[in-house]
Amino acid sequence: MHGLSELQFQDLVSSFLGPYYIALALMNGLAALYLWRSGQTKAWFNLPGSIGGKRVAITNVVVWLLVAMVFAVLAAIAGSGNTSIASLPEWLREAINNSTGPVVYSVGSSAVLIILYLFRGFFVRPAIAWAIWNLMWLFLGLSMTDPDFYDIVAKPDNVPIVMLVFLLAFFTWLATYRAVINDERIANGEPPLEKLDDEKILVWPDLVYTELICMIALTAFLIFWAIALPAPLEEAASSVKTPNPSKAPWYFLGLQEMLVYYDPWMAGVVLPSMIVAGLMAIPYLDFNKKGNGYYTIKERQFSYIVFQFGFLEMWITLIVLGTLLRGPNWNFFGPYEHWDAHKVEALNNVNLSEYVWQRGLNMSLPGALSFSDMPWIPLPAWLTAFLNPFLQFFSLLFGRELPGTLLVLGYFIALPPVMALTVFRGFYQRMGFIRFMIMANLLLFMASLPIKMVLRWVFQLKYLIAIPEFFFNF
Amino acid sequence: MAEKKKMSVAEMLAAARKADGGDGASSAEPAEAPPAEAAAEPTQAKSPEPKSGNPAPAKAADGGRMSVAEMLAAARGGGGGAAAAKPAEKKPAPKPAAEKAKPVAAKKQAEASPSEPRDTASILAAAKKSSKAGPTSKAEAAAKEKADPVPKAKPQIVVPPMPAKPAYAKGKAAAKPKEPADETRRGFLNMGFWLLTAVGALWSLATLKFMFPNVRREPPSKFKVGFPDAFPSGQVQTKFKAQFGVWVVNTEVNGHPEIFALKSVCTHLGCTPNWLEAEQKFKCPCHGSGFYKDGINFEGPAPRPLERYAIRVADDGQIEIDKSQTFQEEMGQWEEPSSFIPV
Repeated sequence: MHGLSELQFQDLVSSFLGPYYIALALMNGLAALYLWRSGQTKAWFNLPGSIGGKRVAITNVVVWLLVAMVFAVLAAIAGSGNTSIASLPEWLREAINNSTGPVVYSVGSSAVLIILYLFRGFFVRPAIAWAIWNLMWLFLGLSMTDPDFYDIVAKPDNVPIVMLVFLLAFFTWLATYRAVINDERIANGEPPLEKLDDEKILVWPDLVYTELICMIALTAFLIFWAIALPAPLEEAASSVKTPNPSKAPWYFLGLQEMLVYYDPWMAGVVLPSMIVAGLMAIPYLDFNKKGNGYYTIKERQFSYIVFQFGFLEMWITLIVLGTLLRGPNWNFFGPYEHWDAHKVEALNNVNLSEYVWQRGLNMSLPGALSFSDMPWIPLPAWLTAFLNPFLQFFSLLFGRELPGTLLVLGYFIALPPVMALTVFRGFYQRMGFIRFMIMANLLLFMASLPIKMVLRWVFQLKYLIAIPEFFFNF
Repeated sequence: MAEKKKMSVAEMLAAARKADGGDGASSAEPAEAPPAEAAAEPTQAKSPEPKSGNPAPAKAADGGRMSVAEMLAAARGGGGGAAAAKPAEKKPAPKPAAEKAKPVAAKKQAEASPSEPRDTASILAAAKKSSKAGPTSKAEAAAKEKADPVPKAKPQIVVPPMPAKPAYAKGKAAAKPKEPADETRRGFLNMGFWLLTAVGALWSLATLKFMFPNVRREPPSKFKVGFPDAFPSGQVQTKFKAQFGVWVVNTEVNGHPEIFALKSVCTHLGCTPNWLEAEQKFKCPCHGSGFYKDGINFEGPAPRPLERYAIRVADDGQIEIDKSQTFQEEMGQWEEPSSFIPV
């Protein structure tokens, strides 16, 4: 923390962590109480011995009670100022800092999401999910004692992002849990859970009252929040001074991350419009009538994967990356790293044309054609003046930038038919030509973002097609 | 029962218990029974709970449990229940109806428990199950109709035949078939596409208008920054950035030492980069674009080098920068003599 001595910071953190761990202990205690009272006690391990002829089992209630006790002990330790004990070891934080980067973060989060998806039957089990939930909170609590981590996470701007991570984890678990149950029931020939209890309720008063109560509760929460975490007031705006780092509103941080890899015209205008239009096109493209009114994954596997990829991977993880891990000069900082404005990162980026012509063929970049170089073309001067920009542009597009042009054209023109003939054969037959082409192109545009990111990381590739003369870069 | 007095929940439950328990007295005088009984009549066939050995068809009604909605409706009637019961009793219809219901009732007799006091929860649960609360869909209504062979006890209203429609009224009245929900949703999205188009068109028009502002207030584009010897070799002078948005740089470009003025606007998205003395580079805080001291882009997404302003040595020997003219490297304009001062 800036302007705080070590001791002051410890006081600050321990006054936060004490109640924090007590709340976690209460959460686990209440869970144990609920399981016990509702008769959901389950024996997990049997102890070897027996007392009075009865075998003693460790039940889930006992386990969560023990966890609650651990949190209570942590509350006592951290709340009394011994933050060095209740924190992650220094070497672990160093290791996390050194091993994280945009590549590790993005690839790692994709890998984690894929594992969670593939083994969802295991991870959605209430006991497993509850354990993960506890570990997430424990990780946050143990990391809070690091001044650099605390600095970022406890910033009033960033608190909602931390909340978003936990809320999303919970709701994704809830939906997946129900979907897994439904998929099992459907496989057994039973109706989904939602069909069992489809008693209709009245809009007035049931729904309207519920909404009113939610509205009031939410308003109260927002008022409390506004008082507890005041919105930051920054210096007066100036056209010549950009704050460093300069961040978009949190919901646009995914777009800002896209802008690192794309030309502003692409990432700022074309791709966002395609997101809106593509989302609106879904009802026209979707031919799967199943999954209406109940949670399911198996019956809508394609839609589910595409949506979760676009939402969790391309939107949420990028928001988290932009909020918590992007620091001054838009450099990547590890979670426990100090935001040093003078951190040097080598980010030399090279266009594809430079790769091919200069490094591959060892020659200089071909220039643009111009009518003034070709006096043998019998055209009036006013016409050549008018046509010259077009000639320049297309000679660059198909001359200097030919490799990138071929790649991009091949990607968007050659790939859809290939997809229709191979993996998406069934889709093509059911959707018809136009609908399939729209869907294929939307998919390809979505996939182009991670592809571009990987190319940037692996080859330091800046643009596939770079015609800055005409502000045309891809 | 008082005419306008509403029943409390406790009263309703008591009434339900009474009906459920099959109080003999209430069955003898159905008209005076709590509203529960009268309201129970339509449901009697579906959920009868007759007492064994009681042949009277009216008895079946006693055991009939009410749905919560019906109880509430009866209670809202505010004693109207009793009033409503009277016409129902007068009607001849209920009796045969009940008689028809009897075989059904008999079938269920085995499972139906004899009268004994019940707890509240079970009554409410039973009331909820026996018939749906709230509105029902058409399919549900049809299913209910099927399961319920008892004709409706409502009095038939005899409507006199309507006179034939006059010619001018015909043809117009073709009722539109109701659109299924799916269609309306698409209709909504359809409208969304049109809105998107309209917004796009409006936005384009507004952009066009933006190109021709009504008033242009700009500071003078020409200003003097001092004598050339105030800019030593290798220095990036940042003190004019806040006021004029310009860096004055004295460095070597392609082997020639030059003084030139760089525009402090990132060529990626227009943020203002910072000069980092320690790293000897311009770095943009928005998306991480980086530029060498001579303005050439080398890292991050910026597609082209920083732009130069026109610069010259004025007649009094001071350096004068003219912001009305810019020079772009990728267009080969850095070769032009007005884009730099050779040192």
